[in-house]
Amino acid sequence: MSGPPTLDLRGKILETGESDYAVDGFHHRYSAGADQVVAIAEAFRASGYFLEMLTCEDRRADLHKMRLVYTFNRFATADRHLVLVELAPEIPGAEAPSIAHVLPAADWYEREVFDMYGVRFSGHPNLKRILLPDDVDFHALLKDFGRIEDAPDAAQPNSESPRDTSE
Amino acid sequence: MNQSAPDTLERASDDETYYLNMGPQHPSMHGVLRLLLHLRGEKILDCEPVIGYAHRAHEKMAENRSYIMFIPNTSRVDYLSGMIYNIGFCQAIEKMVGIEVPARAEVIRVIVCELNRIQSHLLWLGTFMLDLGGVTPFLYCFDDREEILTILDRVTGSRLTYAYGRFGGVTMDVDDVFIEQSRAFLVRLRERFLMYHALIRENVIFQERCRGVGVISEEIALKYGVTGPSLRASGVEYDVRRAEPYGGYERFDFEIPTEKAGDCLARFDVRVREMEQSCRIIEQGLTALPDGPIGPKKLIKKLKPPKGEFYFAVESARGHFGMYILSDGSDTPAKIKLRTPSFSSLSSMPDVLRGTMVADTIAIVGSIDLVIPEIDR
Repeated sequence: MSGPPTLDLRGKILETGESDYAVDGFHHRYSAGADQVVAIAEAFRASGYFLEMLTCEDRRADLHKMRLVYTFNRFATADRHLVLVELAPEIPGAEAPSIAHVLPAADWYEREVFDMYGVRFSGHPNLKRILLPDDVDFHALLKDFGRIEDAPDAAQPNSESPRDTSE
Repeated sequence: MNQSAPDTLERASDDETYYLNMGPQHPSMHGVLRLLLHLRGEKILDCEPVIGYAHRAHEKMAENRSYIMFIPNTSRVDYLSGMIYNIGFCQAIEKMVGIEVPARAEVIRVIVCELNRIQSHLLWLGTFMLDLGGVTPFLYCFDDREEILTILDRVTGSRLTYAYGRFGGVTMDVDDVFIEQSRAFLVRLRERFLMYHALIRENVIFQERCRGVGVISEEIALKYGVTGPSLRASGVEYDVRRAEPYGGYERFDFEIPTEKAGDCLARFDVRVREMEQSCRIIEQGLTALPDGPIGPKKLIKKLKPPKGEFYFAVESARGHFGMYILSDGSDTPAKIKLRTPSFSSLSSMPDVLRGTMVADTIAIVGSIDLVIPEIDR
């Protein structure tokens, strides 16, 4: 029985990072350009991998980027690949190609990223909000809103801050 | 059942098709799920699940509180495998920071997680039967499930939304009464399995409504990332407890039940056999429960994981539950993404439902065991 072809990511990734599965849970770690994500998804699909997760990070404060996070894995033996894709920091404006036509699992994940972060996916068949109501005018997981305890009306009734856990 | 005529998927002229909202308040929908069905007669031309009604922003909350303050949130993401999520989150943080868990705490965790898994499957079994029109099994299942809730309530202080895990252990020790109760429950449940088999599995109406209905093939599972019993019912032996052993599961002897057909009946069989395997795991845990501490001497309240990205997965009652945690080195997570199995299972539904009958929708959606709060987070 011949298995699926071995994974070939040559020419698709920018750089391979250090990862230690025993510590961070990733067998492999890459960074890639947004223009390569479709080719990367096709390579993973051809080798029998599935899209385990797709999410986004608001890294405008430290990296001045939005960053997409893809993880691919397979059923046979665990082999988790982390692919990090940096995008422009402008919201709206940040955009990546959709991989929903390659791996349908991405359809909903991309809608969620759009919903929560405002990153657009070109070529997505139905890019609309998925969790928040259609008529809201913000992207909830952006770091634009500050933290809850920084808000002026978040003062606690008791004088001791609930975050003060020193003994 | 499910005999789709060849013309099913042909585009009908507009006056022959119509749209039907199934949910969000449909009596046989599980929680607040809405399926927007495009129908031609009783045949489903297309289906669009509409979700978000139970969105509580757990991921946003995670960015606004320290790691330990997020522990109570975890069991509320999926209230049916709350214990597995709760312990799983603690295990993720322990791995990030490098906290050792004492042997006794590790075995207690396995026992309570497996009790939680049986409880979740029992609820699924009862409600699935209810979906198919059988009220009697539902009452028996809830009777059994109540036993587990009572056992866990006594030890953890909660019936459903547990906050039993702590970084490096659990909050409260188990005693001899817990061991006796658990053993007695296993004896009781194994007797009940025989009754369930006679009552449900041998029922011809049940078989007819499930066999060949709602096939999730390995190909569809791979496309959408379907995991858990729904995946194992299509013949793939993938279980996070085996693929990426965590929390001491590698020391337990258990099988991973699989079926070939991928239909509702296969998913039923897989879950029932999984309960039997959970019983085996619990039995081994109760026998081999070591003495010793159940956590660190001093409660770990403040911790600062190293900077970076982390991924940790556990096998919940519904499949691969993953946590992607981004740490900026502070005591608060910069981001936690919860990768929940029901989300992936539901996203495969349009592919599975296309061409089936409306009446089968209830059986199919019931058989994949959705927990809506887990999808919406």
